[in-house]
Amino acid sequence: MSDQALNTVGKSELRRDGLSHVTGKTQYVDDIQFPDMLYLKMVRSPLHHARILGIDFSEAEKVPGFVRAFTYKDVPKNLYTILCLIGVGPDEEPVLAEKEVLYKGEQIAAVVAQSEEAAIEAAARVKVDLEELPAVFDVEEALKPGAPILKPWGTNYFVYEGHHCRRVRYGNIEQGFAQADYIVEGCYEPKPIEHAPLETTGCIAKPEANGRITVYTNTQALYFSMDNTALILNVPFNKLHFVGGTVGGGFGGKVDVIVEPIAALAAMHTGHPVKYLYTREEEFHVSSTRVAYRIYFKDGVSKDGHIVARQVTSYADSGAYNRHTPYAVTKHAANISGPYDIPNVHIDAHCVYTNRVPTSAMRGFGVTSASFATELQIDKIARKLGMDPFEIRLINAYRNGDMRPYQKVVGDATLVEVIQAAAGMAHHPLSERFQAMNSWDRANSPARPEPVSAEKRS
Amino acid sequence: MTTQAYFRPRSLAEALGLLDEHGPAMLVMAGGTLAMPLINKGVSRPEKVMGLRQAGLDYVRPVDGGVYIGAAAPLSRVRAESGVPLLAEAVKNVAGWAVQNIATAGGNLFAPPPAGDLAVALLALDAQVKLASLKRGERLVPLAEFFTGFLTNCLDPDELLVEIQVPKPAGKSVLLKYGRLYTNTPAIVSVAVRVVTENGRAKDVRIALSAVGPHPFRARQAEAALTGSSLDSSAIAAAASAAAAECEPHTDPIASAEYRRRMTGVFVQRALAQVAA
Amino acid sequence: MASKIVTFTLNGRETEVMVKPLTTLAKALREKLGFTATKCGCYEGNCGSCTVIVNGEPVLSCILPVEEVEGQNVLTLEGITPAEGLHPLQQAFHENFAIQCGFCSPGMLMVSKALLDKNPHPTQAEVAEAISGNLCRCTGYDPIIAAVLQVAAGSNGNQGGSHE
Repeated sequence: MSDQALNTVGKSELRRDGLSHVTGKTQYVDDIQFPDMLYLKMVRSPLHHARILGIDFSEAEKVPGFVRAFTYKDVPKNLYTILCLIGVGPDEEPVLAEKEVLYKGEQIAAVVAQSEEAAIEAAARVKVDLEELPAVFDVEEALKPGAPILKPWGTNYFVYEGHHCRRVRYGNIEQGFAQADYIVEGCYEPKPIEHAPLETTGCIAKPEANGRITVYTNTQALYFSMDNTALILNVPFNKLHFVGGTVGGGFGGKVDVIVEPIAALAAMHTGHPVKYLYTREEEFHVSSTRVAYRIYFKDGVSKDGHIVARQVTSYADSGAYNRHTPYAVTKHAANISGPYDIPNVHIDAHCVYTNRVPTSAMRGFGVTSASFATELQIDKIARKLGMDPFEIRLINAYRNGDMRPYQKVVGDATLVEVIQAAAGMAHHPLSERFQAMNSWDRANSPARPEPVSAEKRS
Repeated sequence: MTTQAYFRPRSLAEALGLLDEHGPAMLVMAGGTLAMPLINKGVSRPEKVMGLRQAGLDYVRPVDGGVYIGAAAPLSRVRAESGVPLLAEAVKNVAGWAVQNIATAGGNLFAPPPAGDLAVALLALDAQVKLASLKRGERLVPLAEFFTGFLTNCLDPDELLVEIQVPKPAGKSVLLKYGRLYTNTPAIVSVAVRVVTENGRAKDVRIALSAVGPHPFRARQAEAALTGSSLDSSAIAAAASAAAAECEPHTDPIASAEYRRRMTGVFVQRALAQVAA
Repeated sequence: MASKIVTFTLNGRETEVMVKPLTTLAKALREKLGFTATKCGCYEGNCGSCTVIVNGEPVLSCILPVEEVEGQNVLTLEGITPAEGLHPLQQAFHENFAIQCGFCSPGMLMVSKALLDKNPHPTQAEVAEAISGNLCRCTGYDPIIAAVLQVAAGSNGNQGGSHE
């Protein structure tokens, strides 16, 4: 490795797309135009939870330039879940709402018109008859008996292989607590965050002479979007041609498959290119946000600073539908023990449905919230024990060869070195013993507490 | 559906004539920073719109130590040319540079709180607004009487706000805007104060507040609490707590009502302390 | 509705565009004339992506009716790009990684150009204030400010490093 000549490492390479960006020649979705293009605007739920009694398009149809409207009846496979491609199920989100809406802003019907103005006006004239239903906005309230039930399977949680939450079991939590000198509890609530990319989510679907549909999209997940669109439209994958890769800011906010299926459907039915681009207001109101969590910690800690037991009960607010959140919660459950070697771990991470806007991916999703909470928690432990926040991390940091609670052996740890470097940059003095620690052995480290008993992961 | 006509009168007389002819069905727009976003979104779909940029109302004219500002004067011009205290500082806090070049002094008086940073300075400066109608002529209204509620004012349907008149300012004045950022940020509270002293005592006091009520207003009880005092710290504290008590803040994504009320006291205190220093 | 022809100078060329009443400058540039370097991130005058220069002043083209630029000089990013190579600001943005997704870049470049035309040697605070109406979600503002200051330093014969 050290003998190898490196061409790029250690050097700044200019961005490949830089010249195109600084000259304004980069083509984003909104820069593409076709002469016979139609514009799609969405009729959305004004209520958080309601039963749909009827939809009346008669006034919308009178708007000059109106072309046609779409409801769930027009969508070949209306129910989907994005992660079906990696085996997550069941399908539970409608492309267009059927009998019920579960969040304010949910898509009910699409209106297509010859101009954007006409589409806006026609969508505004669609009358939706709704019967308001009780809504639930809190993750713990949603799991209580008597809460309005949002899912056809009769609960408000995602089912992980038959379980009501994603579970991690390692060691023996009760015996771990019994060994501890202190119990330190904490509750942390990372909030939802809107990605707010400068370019709003959108696409243009264009029917081609050969029967294919070309979709120009700013998705961050081109093949996810194409495959889900093919499944929803019930067409072979080779009927779709997705053109993307230019994203005017995403940060995880453009991995949901929302605009492409309905725009492609409208293009198929009208024979025209159809543009569906969120307004800034839609980007804020109805695009997914980062997942909000409520995370309860109960840690058993020994006098010398070792975390010997960690019990976490975490509730992720998925909003009304899955999007990417069931997967995020699995990552969250795996990472909530932190980059620390804890011999007894008991995690229950719930993916909960509420009547909020669906949440999904954002920058390290599942893990960012876990890191936020674990790092606040370890600072709290350090304060409780009167220990240095760097030293307590070095004592607990995982080393190569350690077993993680989810049954993987650590092979690429450099945490000790990173903490040492961070202490140096922050001019935070570390004693010689802590400076001598490393990620490859436990020399200079206190004896490592062993798991109480090696239970099989359930 | 979309706008059928966009009128661009070349004089005030022409503008008043168009208003008389088309009435309230015609949307009056100065810089368009409030109206155009709503029109772009389809929230507002006016059939007729009148733009005032070419109507000869874009002047900033020094008059007897004060300044007369045409309603359609861009804020950037007010910032550069007003020549009286507070106004440049107030404009500096309105959005970004490109908006200051489009937004107008008159239009800013129609901004929904917490937007609208100019009024608080104008209130402290005893500004008056000139309202004009084709058939009824002109009238002058103190700005403090112009505002009547949230997004309501004393302008009649046949009237245009055509000019802001700022008399020669006396005394010392300070403007403080508190937001989450230093520039281009909605106000948590804006405070403008002006104090004229005589023999070491506050003779004339103006304490104006914005973003903590349905419209920008003068905190009369705070003004009374300070009037006659020697601007000592207890009088300033009394004025600050009077201002905190008499404001009517609201909760929005920028700040809670409770926080706004507390910050009103803090920033009135700071502004008055600067005047007293 | 009666469309009308608006005539103005666009990047040094006399240009005519036929528009419906209240059509914005941004829509006229992007959809009628094909000048798509100017971006629209909000269509409501909040993000600054659509900043262009009219008679030397930066304005937001997404909320300015194109009729208001009748007879005036409009400059867009296309207009500052030389036939060969890059404008110094473009070069500095490229080299300082003052671009990531690229969507805010045209507006940032135009407001920076307007600033340097008026004030060739701004302070860091003056650059920060000038771009305060332009939002960026990727790089953060520091590389952008550094790029502008680098150009300012260069025009003083002080090329290099003074922004650090």
